[in-house]
Amino acid sequence: MIQEINTEQYHALDKTGPMLVEFYSKTCGPCKMLSFVLKDIDKIKSDFKVFIIDFDENKDLKEQLRVKGFPTMLFMKDGKEMNRLTGLKQKPAIIKEIEALG
Amino acid sequence: MGNKVTYTSEDHLITRQARVEKAFLEEFAKGNYTIDTPYVVENPYLINPLCALVMFTTPEEVTPTVIVCGKRFARENLSHTFAPAKEHKLPVLGLYEDFANKIVISLSDGTETTLTITTGKLPTDVCRCQNIITSADYLQDNFMFLTPAGKNLPTAYDYKGDIRWLLTVNTMFDIKRAANGNVLTGSSRFCRMPYNATGLVEIDMLGKHYKEYRLPGNYHHDQFEMENGNLLILTQDFTRDTVEDMCVLVDRNSGEILRKWDYKEVLPQDVGGSGSQDAHDWFHNNSVWYDKKTNSISLSGRHQDIIINLDYDTGKLNWMLGDPEDWPQELVDKYFFTPVGDVDNFDWQYEQHACLITPEGDIMCFDNGQYRSKSKKKYIKNSENFSRGVRYRIDTDKMEIEQVWQYGKERGQKFFSPYICNVEYYADGHYMIHSGGIGFKDGFAADSLGPFLDESDPSVELRSITVEEKDGIVLYELETEGNFYRAEKLPIYHDGNNITFGPGQLLGDLDVTPEFDTIPDAEEVAEQPDSWHNFIIEEDEDRLVFHGKFERGTLVMLCLEGPVKSHNYYISTSAVWHLAMCSGAFLEADDRDVKLNVSKKGLSKGKLAVKLIINDKKYDTGVSILI
Repeated sequence: MIQEINTEQYHALDKTGPMLVEFYSKTCGPCKMLSFVLKDIDKIKSDFKVFIIDFDENKDLKEQLRVKGFPTMLFMKDGKEMNRLTGLKQKPAIIKEIEALG
Repeated sequence: MGNKVTYTSEDHLITRQARVEKAFLEEFAKGNYTIDTPYVVENPYLINPLCALVMFTTPEEVTPTVIVCGKRFARENLSHTFAPAKEHKLPVLGLYEDFANKIVISLSDGTETTLTITTGKLPTDVCRCQNIITSADYLQDNFMFLTPAGKNLPTAYDYKGDIRWLLTVNTMFDIKRAANGNVLTGSSRFCRMPYNATGLVEIDMLGKHYKEYRLPGNYHHDQFEMENGNLLILTQDFTRDTVEDMCVLVDRNSGEILRKWDYKEVLPQDVGGSGSQDAHDWFHNNSVWYDKKTNSISLSGRHQDIIINLDYDTGKLNWMLGDPEDWPQELVDKYFFTPVGDVDNFDWQYEQHACLITPEGDIMCFDNGQYRSKSKKKYIKNSENFSRGVRYRIDTDKMEIEQVWQYGKERGQKFFSPYICNVEYYADGHYMIHSGGIGFKDGFAADSLGPFLDESDPSVELRSITVEEKDGIVLYELETEGNFYRAEKLPIYHDGNNITFGPGQLLGDLDVTPEFDTIPDAEEVAEQPDSWHNFIIEEDEDRLVFHGKFERGTLVMLCLEGPVKSHNYYISTSAVWHLAMCSGAFLEADDRDVKLNVSKKGLSKGKLAVKLIINDKKYDTGVSILI
């Protein structure tokens, strides 16, 4: 499940369990490509929660989460960041991090 | 603007040279060429406009001597005597540009003839000598060979600063004469940004390529010829996240990789960082040197301000030379040196290049001095900084170090090169110091590296200064336009075979270019991309290079579609800021121009249609590649 959210929605989220939060920018080529990678992953792992957040429109949140650039993927469990990947990655690298969340 | 794609196919230079060589040797064999009517081939190997090959036969075996007459007087004559033969194929090297060169060929039987070889103008953008101070007595029959740090060309200058050798292909990085008299330098063939070439080439002074040693991790910066002819070459493993942190030993005859040294096995990557370090290019290995006496290799790592020495057999660390600040204490205690002697005038080296071990066991390098501190708060501005050649004496029992010589600190910013450069040791007290990366903006040392400076800006000047000093006296100084990676003083002729006939060899392997396993949704359209993208497909024997212009943030994927299998490559259009740019040869003036190299290794056999996804449309370029 991939869902776009904003800062308010992020704070209101039930953060129980594993999830991926991705910061992207509309002006970023690698982010555009990553959106297709995440869609592919969603086909395989449809129960896994993926939230995408616009980097440029959620500046306080990205600072709060220490996100410096885009794309940045935060792999979270029970609201805690367990790992992060920066830049465009292929499916195996992302799936490995998802599976590490347990 | 319309739609347009450009496709070019060109054989590797080795193949083209083999073809022209075969043709001129056949022509020579057909004719009856004598010393009075020799067969003259100008620029025989296509890439050196300042040379020729003169061929003739004699009834008896005689020893020929070629004299390239000086432009001004006989003192400037360049001469070489070749082995006795009946069939003579004589390289004529070191011609003056745009000049009717007088060539005298004399034989040991007393016969003599004079030829005139008229050369043309060199390309308008060659880097000219601005100033030279030396004498014919000092330089003798040597030229100063400079290798490019940008889109300039490998060039050699005589004692007057006249250009006497120039290749019209952009071979780059190190240049050293091999034991057989040939020259080893970096290939001009692009493989990966920022400056990775397909491999190392062995060439002669005519420009003939004998071998290209291709490497899966490509070639960068430096190489070293071992006593048995095998080659230590700097490379990397592109399947991991870091670069410029590996050296390989390559078999001279087969091109096979025999051994590798991975610096990640001996060094921590997140400590000791210089001002230019990032996680990707954490070490930035820019030189390799083998020392027979200690059976060790020394490696310069610009981005840790460090020269490390490894035992050749075990690969274990022997010592580390650099400012110990910011390194873990256990490493400092075990491997670092403590300065002794005139410690008030002692300086560590920072972001150094081209380390070497002298016959006395001392360490020399070009201390670029960029930032000149480990601590960001203490970084020195380029305009207040200096670069220098330095020689350190080390005592590996007491782990002490003494600075025994330096040249350059006293020249301040005028000699400051934040990148590239080298030193050479000729004898105790006799050295070359090449500061080839000087860049000025508004009269001060610029904050950026040379390749990032806009040469069309009248307030910008790029310079290269090469100095030779003997016992404290400067005997040679060459100042040229442009930036040059390294300098190497060489006589253009050598005592071995100055030419060997027969086709060159393409050795080793490129890697399989990594593909992208997700294909974005895109509407297939039966048209070529807009001509604004200036999409160019270059094909040669072992790879394809794709060039195109795209606005930042465009989604671009190259698709090579075959009947059975397709190959897809993501092309990044993001702006990339490089902290190091030791050669700007592959850098484009417009950062929207991107290029991608795809090795033919691993591509499926058959016809592959070249298609291009640009955002939500997939264009058919109309070009097919037959693998």
